[in-house]
Amino acid sequence: MDTKIKSLLLEGRVDGFWGYRTMNGFPFPRLFTKENANELEPWRPTVARYPVLKLLLREMRMHSDRTYGVLVRGCEERGLRELFKWKQLEPDKVVVVGQACSRELADCCECRQPFPDLLDYGEPAAPVTQSRKVDALQAMAMSERRAWWLTHMNRCIHCHGCRDVCPVCFCTECSLEHRELVSGAKLPPDSSFHLVRAVHMGGRCIDCGLCEEICPARIPLRSLYKEVNRLVEEIFDYRPGVDEGMSPFTFPGDELLLPTG
Amino acid sequence: MDDKAFEPKILGFLCNWCSYAGADLAGVSRLQYPANIRIIRVMCSGGISPHHLLHAFQKGADGVLIGGCHIGDCHYLKGNYMTMKRVKFLEGLLQFAGYDPRRLRLEWISAAEGLRFAEVVREFTDQIRSLGPAPTFEAVPGMDAHPSEAFSGRGEFMA
Repeated sequence: MDTKIKSLLLEGRVDGFWGYRTMNGFPFPRLFTKENANELEPWRPTVARYPVLKLLLREMRMHSDRTYGVLVRGCEERGLRELFKWKQLEPDKVVVVGQACSRELADCCECRQPFPDLLDYGEPAAPVTQSRKVDALQAMAMSERRAWWLTHMNRCIHCHGCRDVCPVCFCTECSLEHRELVSGAKLPPDSSFHLVRAVHMGGRCIDCGLCEEICPARIPLRSLYKEVNRLVEEIFDYRPGVDEGMSPFTFPGDELLLPTG
Repeated sequence: MDDKAFEPKILGFLCNWCSYAGADLAGVSRLQYPANIRIIRVMCSGGISPHHLLHAFQKGADGVLIGGCHIGDCHYLKGNYMTMKRVKFLEGLLQFAGYDPRRLRLEWISAAEGLRFAEVVREFTDQIRSLGPAPTFEAVPGMDAHPSEAFSGRGEFMA
């Protein structure tokens, strides 16, 4: 991470760079600038994952005139593309440096592309195309699946962590805070809470799995959103995070993306 | 609850320009249709958020009917395209959450189709009646341990 990024900083091609710095033996996201560029460490593979896009987005909303660099994984690169498409970030103000995920991490995530297209560090791991977890759920009977989901959603403590950590949740006003639709006094919240969030993820979820990782109630949200992605691909032939096209849930323009059949 | 006592509660979201006028026509034509439907008039079927649909199920609706204009007749040009996409997607999502997607129905009913409106309501009511009361969206106490736990929520791989 040191030489390449240091040169980006020192040549002034970026004003700041979101990288990682080891603290107490753990990598933590950190904003590097010209001043602390000598603190950059050599790149090494880690499994620690942070909502760096969220940090980047916040930073860029505060300083819209600056250019930032960011070290991304495959999912984060997809997230960046979605943020560009939704006009939350300007592509020419972001410089991307890519890192591949380890095979273990890719298998754990059941990731379809555990490496960014612009790969600078690491060896690309083999993609996992079929989700074992979603398949196991689809194999259940409908009533059993309902019970399974309710059991998990019953543990929800309504902390909004899944929303807060999500790189493609960029709304400044969230309908999940609409008190007439989602009661603030009810715990666990209605299970429709998670289904509503799943609807909002349609055409946007980039399958990074941070929601599930951060969930204090260990709700298997990722399986829900994996299915959301599968549905969007099946019905609309769209995959979030690709360069081309727009989410089918953006208002129809020339491209109607109507469901086939 | 025995089946005799079960009367479906159906919530209808009808678009102001077509389906609501269609329902109105069914009324002034004195057509008979089941009284199980409660109608909410919306300005456009495209303005119905999935939030409202899920909220209806959450609040105990046994079925939800959405009535919109035929494709191409939308008063706002493309509102019903959005409805179509949303409903199609929501059906898949409900199915995955273990909730029968047949409880959600989208129909294009124009202002001239009073007869069709009455038929749709009759058909849909019969269908919901045969499906029985909607399962609750709430988890009941004691459901915490589930025998067929296929996998734990958290990834098995922690470093």
